[in-house]
Amino acid sequence: MKKKSKNLIPYLMITPYLLHFLLFVSFPVLFSIFLIFHRWNIISPMEFIGMGNFSRLAQDSYFWQSILNTLLFLVIHIPLQLIVALAFALLLNQPLKYIGVFRASYFLPVIVSGVVVTILWQQLFGYENGMLNRILMLFRVPRIGWLTNPNVAMPSIAVMATWKNVGFYIILFLTGLQTVPKTYYEAADMEGAGYWAKFFYITLPAINPTIFMVVVLSTIGGFSLFIEPYVMTGGGPLNRTLSTVLYIYKQGFFFYHMGYAATMGVTLTAIILTVVMIQKKFVEKNS
Amino acid sequence: MKKVFLGICMSLVLLLNLSCTKHGAGEYGKVLYWSSSNTDEITYARYVVEKWNKEFPNEPVTFQPVPEGQSSEEVILAAVVGGTTPDLYSNMWQGDVEYYARAGKLVALDTLPGFNEFIYNRCDSAVVEEVRSTDGHIYQIPWKINPIMMIYNKGMLAELGYSKPPRTYSEFLHVAQVIKEKYKVNGYPTKWAGYAEVQVTWWQRWFDYYPLYLAASGGKKLVNGNKAVFDNKYSVDAFSFLQTLYANNYFPTDRLSSGRDPFLGGTILTRFTGPWEIAHAEKFKPDGFTYGFAPMPVPDDFTGEPCTYGDTKNIVIFKTCKSPQLAWRFLKEFLEEKNEEKFLTITNQFPRRKDLVTNKLFSDYFSRNPLMLPFAVQARHVIGPDICPVLKEVFDVISQEYEACVVYSKKKPAAAVTDAAKAANLVLMQ
Amino acid sequence: MKKVLSYALLAVGGIFFIYPFIWMVSASLSPEKDIANLILFPSQFVFSNYAQVYEKIPIVSAFYNSLFVALSVTGLVLVFSSMTGYALSHMYFKGRDALFYLIVFTMSLPFQLTLIPQYILMVKFGWVDTYLALIVPYVISGLGIIIFRQYFKTIPKDLIDAARIDGCGEFKILFRILWPNAKPAIITVAILTFMSSWNEVLWPIIVIRNEKLMTLPQLITLFAVGGRAESQLGVKLAAAVLLALPVVIAYSIFQKYFIDSMASSGLKE
Repeated sequence: MKKKSKNLIPYLMITPYLLHFLLFVSFPVLFSIFLIFHRWNIISPMEFIGMGNFSRLAQDSYFWQSILNTLLFLVIHIPLQLIVALAFALLLNQPLKYIGVFRASYFLPVIVSGVVVTILWQQLFGYENGMLNRILMLFRVPRIGWLTNPNVAMPSIAVMATWKNVGFYIILFLTGLQTVPKTYYEAADMEGAGYWAKFFYITLPAINPTIFMVVVLSTIGGFSLFIEPYVMTGGGPLNRTLSTVLYIYKQGFFFYHMGYAATMGVTLTAIILTVVMIQKKFVEKNS
Repeated sequence: MKKVFLGICMSLVLLLNLSCTKHGAGEYGKVLYWSSSNTDEITYARYVVEKWNKEFPNEPVTFQPVPEGQSSEEVILAAVVGGTTPDLYSNMWQGDVEYYARAGKLVALDTLPGFNEFIYNRCDSAVVEEVRSTDGHIYQIPWKINPIMMIYNKGMLAELGYSKPPRTYSEFLHVAQVIKEKYKVNGYPTKWAGYAEVQVTWWQRWFDYYPLYLAASGGKKLVNGNKAVFDNKYSVDAFSFLQTLYANNYFPTDRLSSGRDPFLGGTILTRFTGPWEIAHAEKFKPDGFTYGFAPMPVPDDFTGEPCTYGDTKNIVIFKTCKSPQLAWRFLKEFLEEKNEEKFLTITNQFPRRKDLVTNKLFSDYFSRNPLMLPFAVQARHVIGPDICPVLKEVFDVISQEYEACVVYSKKKPAAAVTDAAKAANLVLMQ
Repeated sequence: MKKVLSYALLAVGGIFFIYPFIWMVSASLSPEKDIANLILFPSQFVFSNYAQVYEKIPIVSAFYNSLFVALSVTGLVLVFSSMTGYALSHMYFKGRDALFYLIVFTMSLPFQLTLIPQYILMVKFGWVDTYLALIVPYVISGLGIIIFRQYFKTIPKDLIDAARIDGCGEFKILFRILWPNAKPAIITVAILTFMSSWNEVLWPIIVIRNEKLMTLPQLITLFAVGGRAESQLGVKLAAAVLLALPVVIAYSIFQKYFIDSMASSGLKE
């Protein structure tokens, strides 16, 4: 039997966590739920407005545009991410020399700050003299307004985000690939299965959980876009790269509509959870 | 491990102490004044403060430039939120004042002794009404203005065969077309009639749409009370004019390279700008380059003197001030006419006084700086932003429609203005 | 033959990822007018862009701010996460399992939900424009707790029981026995925490307005977005290079640890 005095020590150990949880998790969540029914600009007293924030949200075309923008981003980013990361992981999953060098190079964009990547790609996407357009001009293809054409801007950001993060997902896939028991492949070889058959019937199902994780992490990442549009486009052109977090930032920290911004935060969270749950159902169906 | 624990506690205490450095706000018997971070304004502030402290050593005034941040606006807001505001602040944008007034953060200046007499002495009654808050009090003193006008390249104008700068939209578009046809290489234009930033940033409209609107409408408001009132033909005319400029490539949509100033380099004929342009132009202009100033272009059926936007900055006293009477006395000294003459000379910015052109004290300055005269004359017809706590957002909303209509030609001007008004009303209802 | 193809593809991929960085460094060392024609190496090396960055913004103080914040956060995270991880792995108390699920649930809470109230908390505490606002919200890392818990579980129970019988206090056990034996976990958590703290930019932009306290990514962001770089590409790119440099240097030294840490973080998700 443990002595009474010892029983307090575990609670002491977890006190920092509990304190932090109280302050930075439970208070924010509860206060959010309170705040969304009020109007508040920090320097004036709070005003109760019932569902006022929600009725404004329903009519706010910028918010819904930002959701659309994010969905466009995800539709391009997720498949690109999956294909590229898996392809490279498969390539790296062989006994090759210089693996370390390759891995290091793919990983570099991951660890570097998003700000660096954004500033760098803003120049590569430049209309007049950006590297991408210079390559196009070399082939006598007319220039593309990567960041200035409203229809191309968000896809450009999606490609850049893929470039930045794919290294991380390559590592994930590599780890996943390496857990597939070699015996499966050997058995398949004995049955005379070709490369693609092995891929579709052994590899893919085995790394299903990894695929799911990549999808979910990319989704959450997509809904958290901030620094890229903030630095590169300011949300334009025509608000087509406006991310929801950027819009929340604008409403909350530029115009100081705390209640409204909190409302958007709550709504966005609900949307994220819904999307992830749909993805989970989809994956479970296809398991 | 006990040592580790102690170490952590000590560092936390240290951190707590590090964070507690609040500037002395609201001390009795003293006044803290924040100037802007403009070097000339700092020079002037230093001059007046030193003069004051010599004369009144027992009632000291200290000053510092507003702390550095992304924008002075943000810094002020952070100070208001944190309760670390100065007593006096001189660089507040007129459009921001109502926001702070409604939150009860500013002293109602008209409750100070002698204020009403002072302000009617200083400004036209129209200007006084312009800065009166919706609750009837006055929370700001008009301090300085920088009227927006059109600078034009005299030499280039003569080359095109004109003796006077364009006055109306039609005249302007006509000149623009002549430029487009005359200066091109391989079908690409090499010179333009003018240039304005196409950024959607909310304050960019102070240099294109807003002064045009004010000129066209004779100084109408954007917002009255809780409603947007700019949904009128003057807005549509201004949007239309600007849209045509971009659609016909009279104004370039690409950013002109930052290397050389496009105006001084002779690439553009005009620019909508303020008096600060003069100092820059005098310093960097090539030999033989001559330029002049004209009012903003107006619709063809316009008659009379055009108004313009004045980028008005005003002085406020924060409620945290413990000695408002002392602050007021210093303020009167700050705005006294002989000191203001010094201000004019040092900073080349106009005090917003009704006697700017008539007061003999200032005439010496104007004879030394004849290029400033057009601005001084225009200063009689300068309008500042409306009294509205969410004016920034209204400008932001207008900028969004501006982008869609003027820059990308995706909307007709009438539709863009209506949509802007609708969105503005949504914002104003909050 | 398959191998040759693999090498070729990997090499091309490698170029895709590395070339932009090389271009960035070269452009930052070129005179402004040459950047439009730059392909790989500048025609002449100039350091003026870097000089301008140094003149225009307080980059050194920002570097120290980032360092101070990241080190503080990492240190505190290591301490607090290992404490909680230890409690969850080798101690028995009421609500232990509930706590574990709570931690996992909290980790999946999107920051968008807590952002605004957390800011308001900073305002009410008077922590805006202080180091406290940058450090305290980050001193607990759910991932850190889970990594430590996982690792501590692999340490034989007998070792700990023996220490307890000897009369060793729990904190002493944690720091004198577990820590020395948990180096991989410590390194993983340290790297992950340091990196994410160093690169954090949205939060500093929100809570820090005073330039003297800005962190390095925050300062460079505002420099790139605001007008002070005056559209000089070389200067902006120089600023970006300076921002990337510390992490790249750390990466080249600790490369293996970086990659392993990130891999295990993915596994924990």
